[in-house]
Amino acid sequence: MTEVLLEPFRLPYMQRALLEVLLLGALAGVVGVFVVLRRLAFVSDALTHTIFPGVVIAHLLDRSLLLGALAFGVLTAVLLTGIGANRRVGADAALAILLTSFFSVGVVLVSRTRTYTADLTVFLFGRVLAVDRADLLQTLALALVVLGTLWALRKELVLRAFDPEGAAAMGYRTAALDLVLNLLIALVVVAAVKAVGTVLVVALIIVPAAAARLLADRVATTTALACALGALGGWLGLAASYEVSVDHGIRLASGATIVVVLVALFGLAAAAAPLRRRVGGGGVPR
Amino acid sequence: MSELLGTFSDGFARRSLLEAVMVGGLCGVVGVHVLLRRLPFFTMALGHATFPGVVLAALLGVNLFLGATLFGAVVVLVVALLGARERVDETSAIGVTLSGAFALGVLLLSAQAGFSRDLAAFLVGSIVTVQHGDLVTTAVAGAAVLGVLAVLHKELVFGAFDRGGLAALGYPVLALDVTLLLLVEVTLVTSIPAVGTILAVALIVAPAAAARLWTERLGATMAVAAAIGVASGVVGLAISQHWRVAAGAAIVLVAATLFTVSLLVAPRHGLLARRRVSRPGAPARVGVPTAGR
Repeated sequence: MTEVLLEPFRLPYMQRALLEVLLLGALAGVVGVFVVLRRLAFVSDALTHTIFPGVVIAHLLDRSLLLGALAFGVLTAVLLTGIGANRRVGADAALAILLTSFFSVGVVLVSRTRTYTADLTVFLFGRVLAVDRADLLQTLALALVVLGTLWALRKELVLRAFDPEGAAAMGYRTAALDLVLNLLIALVVVAAVKAVGTVLVVALIIVPAAAARLLADRVATTTALACALGALGGWLGLAASYEVSVDHGIRLASGATIVVVLVALFGLAAAAAPLRRRVGGGGVPR
Repeated sequence: MSELLGTFSDGFARRSLLEAVMVGGLCGVVGVHVLLRRLPFFTMALGHATFPGVVLAALLGVNLFLGATLFGAVVVLVVALLGARERVDETSAIGVTLSGAFALGVLLLSAQAGFSRDLAAFLVGSIVTVQHGDLVTTAVAGAAVLGVLAVLHKELVFGAFDRGGLAALGYPVLALDVTLLLLVEVTLVTSIPAVGTILAVALIVAPAAAARLWTERLGATMAVAAAIGVASGVVGLAISQHWRVAAGAAIVLVAATLFTVSLLVAPRHGLLARRRVSRPGAPARVGVPTAGR
């Protein structure tokens, strides 16, 4: 067993992939806790799609993918915070339209290139095995920024999640806090784009956090657990995809394998949660 | 304009035009129900989640519609079960199911050769390669969905506005909910050849959202939504043929543009009209209320 889990990571490119995935898993897990607390799953899904045209434009202009993604991530985060002002439309409908139209811009641009389908696939599903040292450093820098901001604002963000009126009454600017959280989600998506692609990032953010929430009550424990689950899923998924692809000749996309492992972990958590409750571990009713 | 329409003279172009018209109209009508019940995220999730069904069906050589519809039904069930648990709220349940199912689809497909081309067609559609069989399926599925919607119109609308009242009158509320979800699912699957799984939600949500800005009565909203859906399909297709860009994405962008224009200039609910009529900040709402949750 340890053979399967450690053997693949003798290769340098697998080591880099592992580092990247551990970093991203932990980072996305932490941010995911806030996403799940605030029920922003749809918002993060939207962000993962709206960043796509930025990546495409950067690719076409031969600029850094990170910059392109960052520009569109910030743009979306701002638009999302202001959206839903028209009650006749509704926030979720506006979100769906924003998401698909941004995504379509990306598809239209990509469809003009000659390597259309191959490019599209890379953008959507990433290539974690092609991560290099510079990518790792970028991820590390983004992770430090995101985690630092979350740490500095942890009290305010948790208050905003559980008691928005209270936070507003105490004089916190809830709109600014919302914008900050949307920006942080955007940064995580940007960090993860190259490794797992735009479509599967949302899994990294939501699944570990939702699983951790099934098992823990306090925000701090939930965060630690989500972080650990995210990293664990990344490691197991990468090892499994390598093992099956190399030793059994069935090619499994690494990004998708990671997500499937994460969902399996969520399934285990969902199965274990009632047990834990019966034993008397968790006392806080919803 | 005539130059744009001139691009539809070929056989394949005429087929794709017919498909765009049918899918656009169908999505427009169904979209009104999706908005009334606040189901856009769910529709999005279904779009992603039917994906492994399509892949499995393609691998096994079964009918794609059958595979997607069956898998979608499983997903409807999983979301309902997960969402019923006390510590998993519905958005997270949808998020987990969505990403899990989607990853499964990618995984299945990556195990096959010829990964990226098929995948791209599933994801963003490939309306130019629509065959006669697809047209027939679209026509039959569309007629069935519209027929059921017409028959159950009163009950479905009542349920969207006042679920409790409908239950109190003795209607099978749960069965009606499931029926509507299944109709949305069939609509989604039907539009996969035209716009693909990711973008289908736009063709469902955008025309309906635009129509709601122009109209007050539900019947009129549906008619306008269908018209906007058809217009998006036709204009998007023409643009894609003329400038050689992906058809599904062009259709979605036209729909989104029509929505944005409506949002600005619609006579009563548009941003400009509101600015003129109401004091800033005062709610100037009249007409049909949004369905409560």
